[in-house]
Amino acid sequence: MGLFDNLALGFSTALSVQNLLFCLFGVLIGTLVGVLPGISPLNTTAMLLPFTFGLAPTSAMIMLAGIFYGAQYGGSTTAILVNVPGETSAVVTCLDGYQMARQGKAGPALAIAAISSFFAGTVATIVIALLSEPLATLALKFTAPEYFSLLIMGLIAAVVLAHGSPFKAIAMVLVGIMAGLVGMDVNAGVPRLTFGIPDIADGMDFVPVVVGLFGIGEVAANLEIPQDRSILSAKIKNLMPSWADFKAAFPAILRGTSVGTILGILPGGGAALPPFAAYALEKKVSRHPERFGTGIIQGVAAPESANNAGAQTSFIPLLTMGIPTNPLMALMIGALMIQGIQPGPSMIHDQPALYWGVVASMWIGNLMLVVINLPLIGIWVSMLRIPYRLLFPAIILFCCIGAYASSNSVFSVWLMLGWGALGYFFNKVGVQPAPMVLGFVLGPMLEENFRRTMLISGGDPLVFIERPISATLLAVAAALLVVLIFPAIRKKREEALQE
Amino acid sequence: MQKSRGDIPGIAFGGFLILLAIVALIETRNLTVGTAADMGPGYVPRALSLVIMAFGLVIAGRGLFTGRRPLPAIKLRPILSVLVSLAVFALLLPRGGLVLATLSTMACSTFSSADYKWRESIIFAVIITAFTVVLFVYGLGLPLAVWPRW
Repeated sequence: MGLFDNLALGFSTALSVQNLLFCLFGVLIGTLVGVLPGISPLNTTAMLLPFTFGLAPTSAMIMLAGIFYGAQYGGSTTAILVNVPGETSAVVTCLDGYQMARQGKAGPALAIAAISSFFAGTVATIVIALLSEPLATLALKFTAPEYFSLLIMGLIAAVVLAHGSPFKAIAMVLVGIMAGLVGMDVNAGVPRLTFGIPDIADGMDFVPVVVGLFGIGEVAANLEIPQDRSILSAKIKNLMPSWADFKAAFPAILRGTSVGTILGILPGGGAALPPFAAYALEKKVSRHPERFGTGIIQGVAAPESANNAGAQTSFIPLLTMGIPTNPLMALMIGALMIQGIQPGPSMIHDQPALYWGVVASMWIGNLMLVVINLPLIGIWVSMLRIPYRLLFPAIILFCCIGAYASSNSVFSVWLMLGWGALGYFFNKVGVQPAPMVLGFVLGPMLEENFRRTMLISGGDPLVFIERPISATLLAVAAALLVVLIFPAIRKKREEALQE
Repeated sequence: MQKSRGDIPGIAFGGFLILLAIVALIETRNLTVGTAADMGPGYVPRALSLVIMAFGLVIAGRGLFTGRRPLPAIKLRPILSVLVSLAVFALLLPRGGLVLATLSTMACSTFSSADYKWRESIIFAVIITAFTVVLFVYGLGLPLAVWPRW
């Protein structure tokens, strides 16, 4: 099938009334959580995951994807209007966006944010469509050693791109792998690390672990920081940016989209890193770097296009190889597996309607965001008036119900409690839980492919470097480790992440 | 000079890793390890425990000899009442039903923050409870009892 046939199939799937409704629902929920600080797309997805069990797989994926990129969009609205980044990915947008709003240019800033996001979303959708077939075909050639090396490279890349000490991040990946080993050993049928608890004989459920770490832990940490919100009450007028704004923003949108598209594909990239990188790049190429932070349009266009492009291209490794590059993609894998679909290179051929439907829905969802959201900005901003003291008991409650619903057992709530306490501990000792979640999801795959390889090679570890694809992947992983070890490059990395 | 040393978060994290490794080694003590060519169920977890142990020792050890960095302030009230809220939900749901569990959880978590206001919190809790019951039990058909059964 050619690309156009595939896209035609995708659009015919995504344009069914039911899927359009779920797409709309997803982007609206996503925008809402994007607007509200303290609720991330990650814990929203985790909370809503149990409710997708009853949906058709395509509808479920379309809705969950909508939440993710909708949230990137909503985060920028509050960043511009209120100087509160609804999501970490919108932190950079605050710098120039809020300054523009203070100068009475909130309208153009919001419009440029929307247009950049839409442009980036369109490009990212095309990139996904173009790369899918070749990547999936390549991945079909993979056997156990290649998969093992790919997973190793992915985990190391995630560590390189994570904030904070890389050494501690590697330790967290290992802790995650250990947590992933809990449950029945597939080969021998023996329970491992279960402490005799029957509820975790099949492994720990995904939802309570992630919601506990990110949802509960975050709420508890947020409560210690005084919440401060002042709302810009000025009316937003003349939404349309001027031609000059447009001309100034366009090159920044192109650069931001490229940066976002590339970083999104890398493990650990996702939506948080690209806006920082794009902003730094814009500053470098600008003839007036000192004007950044004073409310110039490039400072909104670049990070906004980058975060949307990154959010979307981070689906590529998941859809073509079944490998999640960030915790949210890990949740998506959970959603697919619950639906009985094994994510991986064969998905594109076995489930073409699902695959291309999700890809097409991303473009439709981006269009919806532009058309629906600009008129709704007033509503989103009024949502910010709900104080956190009312919001967080509801968050906690929905976490509880979500955990319960994932297994129909209160044991999941207890499990979430334990992971919540652990998440709080990690927060206090200053380590990021994200690498751990990747380890948790990839751990079982890693072990299985390792054991299978060793069985085939008769215990000879050289097999990993004797096979060309595997050797290449490990070489990349080694190069990334070198980056971490050399202090000069390490300093650069810290500067880049600091920006 | 003694007092100016020690990265407390680093030591705490290293200690956590060591503890985790020890617990994992004890729990997997009866599993077959096997050989590299034919691994038993114990091979990977036990090898992993040793690596985690090494990481823990290095991180904690480095923490002991670097400059002083205290643990960030811990406020007991938020974290404890959040955890208690979860426990209340887990304890009440099976026999007390969704309404009782929801209201109690909302009440407990409301107290985690110092600046709650009685009236608005009660009104909000009642609205959310009604919403929860309608959405989850009638809308999504979760198998949950709404009212207590004694």
